Amino acid sequence: MKNRLKVLRAERDWSQQDLADRLEVSRQSVNAIEKGRYDPSLPLAFRIADLFAMRIEEIFLREAD
Amino acid sequence: MNRAGRLRDESPRDPARPGLWLGLMMGCIGIVAGLRFSGAVGAPVGFILLALSFTLLIPATRAMNRSRNCTTSTAGRRYNTGIMVASLAYVAGLGIAVRIHDQMTLSPSVMFFVALLPTIPTLAVIYVMGRYVVEEQDEYLRHRAIQASLIGLGAVLAVGSFWGFLETFELVPHVPGWWTVPVYAMGMGLAQCWMSLRNRADGES
Repeated sequence: MKNRLKVLRAERDWSQQDLADRLEVSRQSVNAIEKGRYDPSLPLAFRIADLFAMRIEEIFLREAD
Repeated sequence: MNRAGRLRDESPRDPARPGLWLGLMMGCIGIVAGLRFSGAVGAPVGFILLALSFTLLIPATRAMNRSRNCTTSTAGRRYNTGIMVASLAYVAGLGIAVRIHDQMTLSPSVMFFVALLPTIPTLAVIYVMGRYVVEEQDEYLRHRAIQASLIGLGAVLAVGSFWGFLETFELVPHVPGWWTVPVYAMGMGLAQCWMSLRNRADGES
């Protein structure tokens, strides 16, 4: 699944580690999600959305989008 | 540091260097295997050298526990330490059991208990792995551990089946069933290495 995590992170000038610390996950998790290699669970997707004050579908995009 | 720099430099060089220790251990094991198969050293010396090679697991585990690239959770550190202790106990138990079998003539009931020497550490490895999957709070690391475990299991099934047929057709010698654990560990270890390298390559792109 595509996502805008890297862009959102860059807009805030956060490193992967900064984002990982805020989400209480590993840096590897952030890296894998950014690269689209791992789709987060629904609870983690909600945590990401809450952190950026956005809706899930504004961050995670369907492949067709 | 500017934004481009921060985004590019996601996977800095690991000062703990666990790969160095693991590579050194694998190199030592390879050299010992070479010496043993060439006949340069006998079985007792070969086993002592092999056991000494495995003690490199201690600095390797310490380095992994210090490394932010390798281990990021309390569950991960407990897993590394548990696997190290169980692996060292397995090597010691295996060596002692094989030596007792080769050197002494004991009753089947005593040999039953001797066989437990390497088996109990194997059960400990299974327990440590199961506990890690339960305790790991990071869902991606848990996902990776399960993937690596499945690849290890696949290696056991593939190698075991293929070797079994080769053995049935009398093309290769018999291999004891306890080799399943080293083959599983190698499959799992290679899978973890591959995933770590892929992550690192992605992080630096």
